[in-house]
Parts: sequence; structure tokens; C-alpha cells
Amino acid sequence: MAGLTEDPELGINDIKEETERNNKRIDKKVGVVAEESVQGEREMAPPAGGLIHRSGSRPQLDLSKAAIQGNFEERNPTILLPNQSDDISHLALDIGGSLIKLVYFSRHEDQSIRKKTVKERLGISNGNRRSYPILGGRLHFVKFETSKINDCLDFIYSKQLHRGGMDARWHSELPANENTVIKATGGGAYKFADLFKERLGVSLDKEDEMNCLVAGANFLLKAIRHEAFTHMEGHKEFVQIDHNELFPYLLVNVGSGVSMIKVDGDGKFQRVSGTNVGGGTYWGLGRLLTKCKSFDDLLELSQRGNNRTIDMLVGDIYGGMDYSKIGLSASTIASSFGKAISDNKELEDYRPEDISLSLLRMISYNIGQISYLNALLFGIKRIFFGGFFIRGHAYTMDTISFAVHFWSKGEAQAMFLRHEGFLGALGAFMSYEKHGLDDLMAHQLVERFPMGAPYTGGKIHGPPLGDLNEKISWMEKFLQKGTEITAPVPMAPPGTTGLGGFEVPSSKGGTLRSDASALNVGVLHLVPSLEVFPLLADPKTYEPNTIDLSDHSEFEYWFTVLSEHLQDLVDKAVASEGGTDDAKRRGDAFARAFSAHLARLLEEPAAYGKLGLANLLELREECLREFQFVDAYRSIKQRENEASLAVLPDLLIELDSMSEETRLLTLIEGVLAANIFDWGARACVDLYHKGTIIEIYRMSRNKMQRPWRVDDFDVFKERMLGSGDKKPPPHRRALLFVDNAGADVVLGMLPLARELLRRGTEVVLVANSLPALNDVTAMELPEIVAEAAKHCDILRRAAEAGGLLVDAMINTLDGYKENSSSVPLMVVENGCGSPCIDLRQVSSELAAAAKDADLIILEGMGRALHTNFNGRFKCDALKLAMVKNQRLAEKLINGNIYDCVCRYEPLR
Amino acid sequence: MDLGVGEVGTPGNSKPHQPSGQISHLALDIGGSLIKLVYFSTYDDVDDETGRSATESLSVYNGNKKYPALKGRLHFAKFETTKINDCLEFIQKNQLHLGGCQHLQSSPIDKTVIKATGGGAYKYADLFEEKLGICLDKEDEMDCLVAGANFLLKGIHQEAFTYMDGQKEFVQIDHNDLYPYLLVNIGSGVSMLKVDGDGKFERVSGTNVGGGTFWGLGRLLTNSKSFDELLELSHKGNNRVIDMLVGDIYGGMDYSKIGLSSTTIASSFGKAISDSKELADYRPEDIARSLLRMISNNIGQISYLNALRFGLKRIFFGGFFIRGHAYTMDTIAVAVHFWSKGEAKAMFLRHEGFLGASGAFRSYGKRGLDDLMLQLIQQFPFTASPAGDI
Repeated sequence: MAGLTEDPELGINDIKEETERNNKRIDKKVGVVAEESVQGEREMAPPAGGLIHRSGSRPQLDLSKAAIQGNFEERNPTILLPNQSDDISHLALDIGGSLIKLVYFSRHEDQSIRKKTVKERLGISNGNRRSYPILGGRLHFVKFETSKINDCLDFIYSKQLHRGGMDARWHSELPANENTVIKATGGGAYKFADLFKERLGVSLDKEDEMNCLVAGANFLLKAIRHEAFTHMEGHKEFVQIDHNELFPYLLVNVGSGVSMIKVDGDGKFQRVSGTNVGGGTYWGLGRLLTKCKSFDDLLELSQRGNNRTIDMLVGDIYGGMDYSKIGLSASTIASSFGKAISDNKELEDYRPEDISLSLLRMISYNIGQISYLNALLFGIKRIFFGGFFIRGHAYTMDTISFAVHFWSKGEAQAMFLRHEGFLGALGAFMSYEKHGLDDLMAHQLVERFPMGAPYTGGKIHGPPLGDLNEKISWMEKFLQKGTEITAPVPMAPPGTTGLGGFEVPSSKGGTLRSDASALNVGVLHLVPSLEVFPLLADPKTYEPNTIDLSDHSEFEYWFTVLSEHLQDLVDKAVASEGGTDDAKRRGDAFARAFSAHLARLLEEPAAYGKLGLANLLELREECLREFQFVDAYRSIKQRENEASLAVLPDLLIELDSMSEETRLLTLIEGVLAANIFDWGARACVDLYHKGTIIEIYRMSRNKMQRPWRVDDFDVFKERMLGSGDKKPPPHRRALLFVDNAGADVVLGMLPLARELLRRGTEVVLVANSLPALNDVTAMELPEIVAEAAKHCDILRRAAEAGGLLVDAMINTLDGYKENSSSVPLMVVENGCGSPCIDLRQVSSELAAAAKDADLIILEGMGRALHTNFNGRFKCDALKLAMVKNQRLAEKLINGNIYDCVCRYEPLR
Repeated sequence: MDLGVGEVGTPGNSKPHQPSGQISHLALDIGGSLIKLVYFSTYDDVDDETGRSATESLSVYNGNKKYPALKGRLHFAKFETTKINDCLEFIQKNQLHLGGCQHLQSSPIDKTVIKATGGGAYKYADLFEEKLGICLDKEDEMDCLVAGANFLLKGIHQEAFTYMDGQKEFVQIDHNDLYPYLLVNIGSGVSMLKVDGDGKFERVSGTNVGGGTFWGLGRLLTNSKSFDELLELSHKGNNRVIDMLVGDIYGGMDYSKIGLSSTTIASSFGKAISDSKELADYRPEDIARSLLRMISNNIGQISYLNALRFGLKRIFFGGFFIRGHAYTMDTIAVAVHFWSKGEAKAMFLRHEGFLGASGAFRSYGKRGLDDLMLQLIQQFPFTASPAGDI
């Protein structure tokens, strides 16, 4: 409790909570969360459920936070909101001619409360690390049409964004200050200044447009992994750009006109060129020629157009032949609108669709060409295109990319930004002096896609949604009505509808929404305590996902798997909350919301950015949390833990009777065998009906026939036991990434941990911060360890040394010895709530624990196969899993379902 | 017949539309929108100085071969490509195809071969074969353009001129300092050629926003009946009604920080979005003006960027889009001036419309023709619009 005493107020909360039973605690937490969502800020993003709390290994931190939320009047504001007066205005606007873009920041509530206990135990201090001037929180991106500026004002007012959001409202009863100043950019910052003053009492502080654009782009490109993507022939590919190689780049902002900016660094840029043929030209000419009422209508028309009826192609001039001598194919446009001269047709005789497409191609192509020429002049390799003209429109991006590719002969690449519409607004946001985001790193950002994401694509339609009930109603109403926004319909895979090459927009299709290819923008969660796992051999090239879902057949497979599993999951979730009507209603809403996510991704796999299996599985968990299913497998996990703990003593006796060598093999076999218990795998769910956990475990273990499909056991054994007289030194510290609750952790990983402890290796059990399927969480582990320790001296002494038994044996605190004879057994949370793990974003506790580790053991499909199978580390690594999916077995190890992987990768 | 025929002949010729003598050479440039004809007719009644000198010049030895003396007239004609039948009729009527490449040794039964360039030389080959029984010998379009330009730039005194603020200024170019240059041919589309010498050139760039775009979009937007009518309209227009200027965005202030004056066009046709006006509410003159500025400016910019990229000092603009139209030349010149900050100058050619056809004509490979053309042209320089406009 050493860490807690630093903050007596907190300590009281914690201790109060600790006296309660685990399940009661969780019940309480649910209640508190619901309460928070009423009192907390009103927004579409999930309230507490969506947060990942960076805390010690203790479960209590979550609760303390919730308690504080519930009793905010009592708390000491200087602790919780230390910089509050400095950052009232965390709203910035970009008011353009057609759209208003808002970026606003809402703070995570408890960033200033951190327990350092684990770190202190690990002997690691913060050292010279910054003491978190970056506040945790969320960055929201919202769009409104400029013509509906009143909706925007209402939105700001309802969320009190102009007064610093809810934080300020709690904190002070002061009316909106006379000199409240909001940063704004875009032409409308001038035009609507009076309106903002009148309606909200705020002054708009106008920031230079170019400054904002560049600042926004620099922030996105540095802070968000895979922000940039290429777009060729309907295919998007996300690109990770090394920060050190980012500059110089050419930023082409296609607004009404086009600005081309050479960016050399933060705040270092120059407008080198531009063209007057831009988005305004497209829209202006388009309106005159087609009578379209809006830019979006015009774009949508182009989807169904055929420019060949209007453009003069090389083939039209050369009688269908290529003019290959100079590299022009028959379908190259020789002259935009060139056919309109030779025909005797009038304007009315042309289809507006065709006109729109011709216009789009003319302008996009021209922009691409001029951009490339400028990039060439300045020796720039990368060109980023942004601005309202792009708008995520597939054909526009294709045309620009084609032009750049064509003229550069493949040397230069056109790139686009996922958040392209928000460059200016983000830049305006960055212009606040104390936003604290300057040094934000990619690993501190987690993007979440809340419920509405598949429908709104980042736009807000209708009033801001507040509590859960409103969200559920919206979801119900929405799916019934579906008029305002077309519900996504799964379409043919992208990239396959084109007739080959560039000639026909591959995004074509009458039923596609015009913005179908527009990418969705989620909420950016800023979690300052996240860190890159320090043992990654090369963080720059590390890719967590083994399965890349941009391969459409792969996505379709997982789409089916997840869809089929959905009902079972909903049943579990509803049952976990007592099967009440409320739970059922939430369960239905969850199913709808998650199905909508899946449908959206099937339609556009890149909609949420680079998509790997890990992201998809995490999305499901986040979606459950959004509908306040805190832990769908809670009762199942509990039952299995109890059953497994009951037979653990017998297993330990059995193990202790073996020779060291046999025991090591048996232990590894045990881990692999116990890994069969996995509610995430369909095949295994069926198994549960065939016998008790222990029966299945024994059966599974008996079937362990070496060699396994991937079998490095002998190399591992050599490292552990040596050969002959040579006894290798034990590892200093091992990190064990555990997987499922029940037999998996109790009968598999815990005995392995015990063996390591016995050999003098410190053991850190690394578990999820938040529940995911039946994975054991860091919150649950101490109790499991405590229970196991009752029957095992090794575990007890190690757990004591690691401070794990403080709670359970609070009365024996006097007997706690600093110089305990055992190496410690510790538990840290990994920082995520997903069945997989992206090691670029782990909790600071895990990062701290990793610093002395020389062995990591990744266990289970999610962490050792779906992710990290190809990961390389700066220490010895052991990956253990049973493959419980036929497709994965075939793809990954050329094997079959239930094959085992024991991959050992010693540090060279 | 809705066509114009222009010709350059020796003085005394009073019937330009009826070639009187034997037709000896016809060359065609069949573009996307216009067909350009160059043909030569001989006649015997040479009785003045010009004729004599022409004859003299033609008795020059070229290698081992001595060409027969030629004297006569060089004709230039244009047809709209859509009215190709008129063109065929014209050729038929005047028997131009019979005077084609008749080699001394060739028998009359041999298929007549006519030099042709432009995309239509491929597209309409069958049509010529069928209707006139002649075979089009396709000459590469770029080869012809360059050959035509080199020929004119080297052969003709004061062929090139700059155009700024309504002032035409002829430029004397040293033959030895001619290369490399950028030749921008603005036809329906635009080709940009880097020319390093006779027959030495490369198409380095181009744009699909060219004369065809101006005319095509202009027709749709203004109902103009002809290219020239559209150009005429543009004279009387005011582009500020439709274009969004920097001043419109920044409330009349310059955005001087980045070097844009308030009258710089920020977005062509950009005002057409914010107004609730329909097409009918805009004056065709203003539309034509905006369109012309948009396209000229764009061509000027892309040309300049390419010249800069290859370190070329001179940019020559040619092609039917220019047509000696002052405002077009002015906007292109302004664009080049603007983007190059005054470093580069746009130049134009007096005989710009006939580069391709002249090149095709030259490809008959007879040195004598070059000399003849040179002399004819030099002594009877074209005015801005030598051939009757369509």
C-alpha cells in the first residue's frame, strides 16, 4: 500500500472498495459508470467503458476513479485538474465555405492519479521522464455543413465546448468569460465571428490558414501511424512514414483553389505554387453545366458517368490505336471536353453524369500533374493531397494518383491523409499555447470508432447523443428508418469492379454511397502513459498483425467467423448482467452496432485505417464496452478459475515428482494443452459440451505428441537446463503474457511461472487491463495467485515478495520481509483490452517491467499467433499456442486445427 | 462550302481557289478538330523576279540527285475534322490527290501516296483509300511539328515574337543559339516538346486541358457556334464575375504573405458555386473570358514548369488554339511571366497553325521544296491569319 499512502484521499476510496467481494465490486462499477455517463460529458463516444485506465496491477484503480467521478464535489480539484485554468478552451474550428470542422479535446478524468507501486517495487523511478504535462484525453473530430451553422452552435453549446467542456462546468460556476477565445481558421472565421460572439459569447481568434494546414499535417503525420495512404486503382494502402524521413514533403491543399506548400519542418514551410483550377472550379463549372445543388451531388453523379462521351481520347484521334511512341494509350484523354466541339449536340444532350466525370478527371489530373512538376523541381518524393475537393472520393484520389504516377513514371507517389478534412482545424488546435500535444508520440494515441462511426463517417447528424439510453434509441430508430443515411450494404470487394486499369472508376457502382470510400474518422484517445514495449527488436518495422485484413478473402472469412459468433456473445453478455430486459436491450443494440461496423468494413476495409485482425477483435470488445457490458464472460471465468484451482494442488504434486527434464517438457505440454480452453474459438466452445474442464485438459495433454507442428522445445530446454555439467544461469526476469482465465492460466501458465521462480527467475505475469472474451485480466490475477499460493510455498513466497498478497493477507503484513528469500512474482497490466496485443502501445508499468527482462513468453493465439508471430525481440522469446482454427493453421504453419506451436527465438 | 482556303502564291495569281497548274504535292495534318492541307501547284507562266528566283533556287544540287525545277504556289487550307467529307470533296474536285507524290519513274497505276500527319491520318486512312483511292503515308505528328517549327524558326526572319500588354515584339533568334527550346503545341490537347536539334526532340509533357477544352466547354456554356465566336466573346467579358479572386476571399486584401495580389484568380469559376445564379444568369462573354483565362493560365504554368525542369530558356507556343488571338497570347504570356517571376518569356510563331502540315510537306524529303517554301513565305509573309478562318 506504500504507493497509496501518498494520496490519503485515494487510499480511503481504495480500501473501502477492497473490502468488497470481486463480483460486487464490478457491480458497483457498472452502477458508477452509468452514473458517470449522465454526469460526464455528453458525447457519442463511450464514457468510461472506452477508457483504458493506466493503473497499477491492482483492480482498485478503476474503482477509485469511478468513485471520484461520482463524488466530484468532494475531491480536491488541484489534484485532479492541475492545469485546469490553463486549458479551458480546447476547441478549435475550421470554418470553410462548405463545411465546418471542429476538433475538440475532452480530458480523461483521472490522469493525475497514478499509482507508482508496481514501478517502485520494480525499482524503477520515473527518472527524467516528463511528469505528464500531456493530459490524457480524447480528441474528437466533427463536421457540420456550413449552411447549418446553427447545428454547430447548438452542438458546441450543449457540450459546453466553448467553456472548456464539462471539466470547466464541474469546476467553476463562472459564466462564460468575456474574453473566452476560440482558435479558428478558414474564411468563415472572419465571416461568422459576430455570430459566435452573439450566440456563445466567444471571440474567434483567427489563425493563418497555411500555418494551420501545415501544423495539422505535421501533427497527423508524426503522431498517427498509418495516417497516410496511397490510392491506386481503387486500392488503398496505408503507409508508415519514418519521422526522420518525413521532411521535406509537398502538401497540396485542394480547396476552392489549390495551394502547394513545401514543408521542411515544424513551422517551416513555403507556398511554392498553386493553381486556380481547383475544387471551386469543379463545383462552379459543375453547377453551371449540371444544375447540381451540392458538391456532394455532383461528386455522386460522377460515379455513374462515362467521360468518353465528352472527352476526346487519344484513341478517338488515332482511330482506337495507342500513340505508343510517346507513351499514350488509346484511353488517355487528349483533350478534356474535346468531343463537345465536334458533335452537334447541345448541353442538354449530354448526361450530367458524364459531364461531372469529365470535369472531375480534368481537374484532378491537372492538379496531379502540376503537383508532380513542383515536387520534381524541389526534389521532393512525397506529395500529400488534402482539402475539401478530395473528400475521400475514390475516383478523385485515383485520378490524382494516376497523374502523379504517370508523369513521374512511378518515381513519385501521391498520398492522402485519413484525417484530411481536419488539417486546418487540428492546426488551429495546435496553435493554443498550452495544448501539450507537441511531443505526442504515435504510441500514445489509440483511435476508437464509436457506435455511430459506420453511419456517419465522422459527421454528426442530429443532436449529440448523451447517455446510453439515447444511444440505444438512436441505434434502434436508425436501423428501422434508415432514411437519412443509407445503412451500409455489403458491396462487391473494392478493386474488382473496375474493368482493369484506370479507365473506369473502380469505385463505380450505382448503389454505393458517394462517400462510401471516404474514410471514417474515429475518436483519438490520448493516453500519455502508453509506451512502446522496450524489448521490440525494431519498433519501426514491427507490425503486430500476422493477418492483414486488406486481403478481402481474409476479411470475408473473419467477417463470417465473427458474425456467426455474435449471437453467442450477445447471449453471454446478457447473461453476465442477469438477463434483465435492460441487458437484453443493450445486447440487441450492441449486436446492431457491431454488425454495422462489420458491414462498413466489408464495404470499405480501409474505412477505419489499416485493419488487422487484432484491430477487428478489439473493436468488438470496445463495442461491448460502449454498451456497458463490462465483462461478458465474468461468471464463466469465475467458474473455470474455481474448477481449475481445485485441481491445481494435485497437478503440482504430480509435477514435483518428475525429474527436472521431464517436468519442463510436461510444463510446456501443459501450457499448450491448457490453451485449448478458449471461448474465442468456435471449435473449442463445442468442446465444452463434451466433458468437464479437467477431463478435457487431461485428454488434451495426453494427445500432446511431439514433435509439435512448430517445435523448438529442445533449443529451449538447452537454454534452460543446459547439457551435461554445464548449467546455464537462470533468466533474470521473465515476462509471461497470459491468455485465458481458467485452466489456461491456472493449470498452464501458473505452473510454468512457478518453475521459473523456483529456478530463481523473477516472474511478471502480464495480463489485460480490460476484459476481452474469457481472457484473464490483471484485475483478476492477484486473487487467483493468492488462491494458488494457499497450497504452494513457492508461489506464496514469490507472491509475497512481489507484494501480491498484501490484500489477501493483510494481517500478515508485519511478517512481510523486505529481504524475502524468494524472487518476486508480480502482475502488471498490459494496457489493452483486446484478445491480441500491439506491443507498440503498452502500459508504462509493462514497459518498466520489461527493462530488466531477458525472457518473454507469449501464450495463446491472440498474442502469439494473430499478433507477434513474426515479432522479434531484444531478448529470448518463447511463443506457445495451440491453433484452434483450421484456416489459421493452414495459413500460418501449414498444419491442422489443434496443432501446437512452440517457437523459441533466443537472442542472438 | 463552309471552308476557307488561303494560299500563298506568286503575285498575279487572281484565282486562289482554283489551282490552275499541276498539283504536285499535297500534305495533310488531320487533327482532332481541324484538318490542315498544304499543297503545291505548279504553273508555267513565271514572268517576274520572284518566279525566277524560285526557279533558280530549285536548281540546287542535293547530293547526287537533282530535283526537277518547281515553280508555283503553295496553298493552305483548313477544314473542320467533323466535316471531313467536305475536305474529301475538295480534294476530289481539285484533283489534289492525283498530284501527290508522283515520282518520275512511277507508273500511273501505282497507288498514290499522300503524306499525312495528326491522329486522323490513322483514323481516316480507310476513308481516304475508299473515297479517293489514295494511301496516306503516316508521318509522325511530333516529327512534323518539330520539323515545321525548326524550318520556320531558322528560315524566317522575325518568325518569333513576344506578346505583352497588347504589344507584339519580334525577337531575332540566333540560329546557333536556337536549341534547346520548348515547343508547346496547343491543339485540341497540348503537347510539350523539348527540341534539341533537327529531328532531335522528346515529348516531355502535355496536358489534356487545351483548345478542345476551351471550345468544348465554351460551346456547352455559351452556345457559341464557332471557336472564333467564342474567342470574340471573351474579348468583351469580365472574368471577375465568375472567378473567385484572392480579394474575394480575403475581403479585398492582398494575401501578400504568399505573394498573391487581390486580383489573382484563386479559383476559376469559383464564384459560380456561392451564387444562387444559374447558367442563364451569366453573360456568355464573362464565361468565355473566365474559360480562356483558366486554360491559358494553366497551359502557361505547366509549360513554364517544364521549361524550368529542363533548363530551357525559350518557350514557343503554337497550335490552333493560339491563332494569333491577342488575348490568348496575353494570358499565356502573363502566366509564364507570373510563374517564372519574369525570368521566362512566352514566344509565339507567326505561322503557328501550319507547323504539322509544313512538317509533313517537308517529309517528302525534297530539299527543293524547303527552299521554295522558304522563299515563298519570306517574300509574302502571312498575316496573322493566312488561311481563311473557319
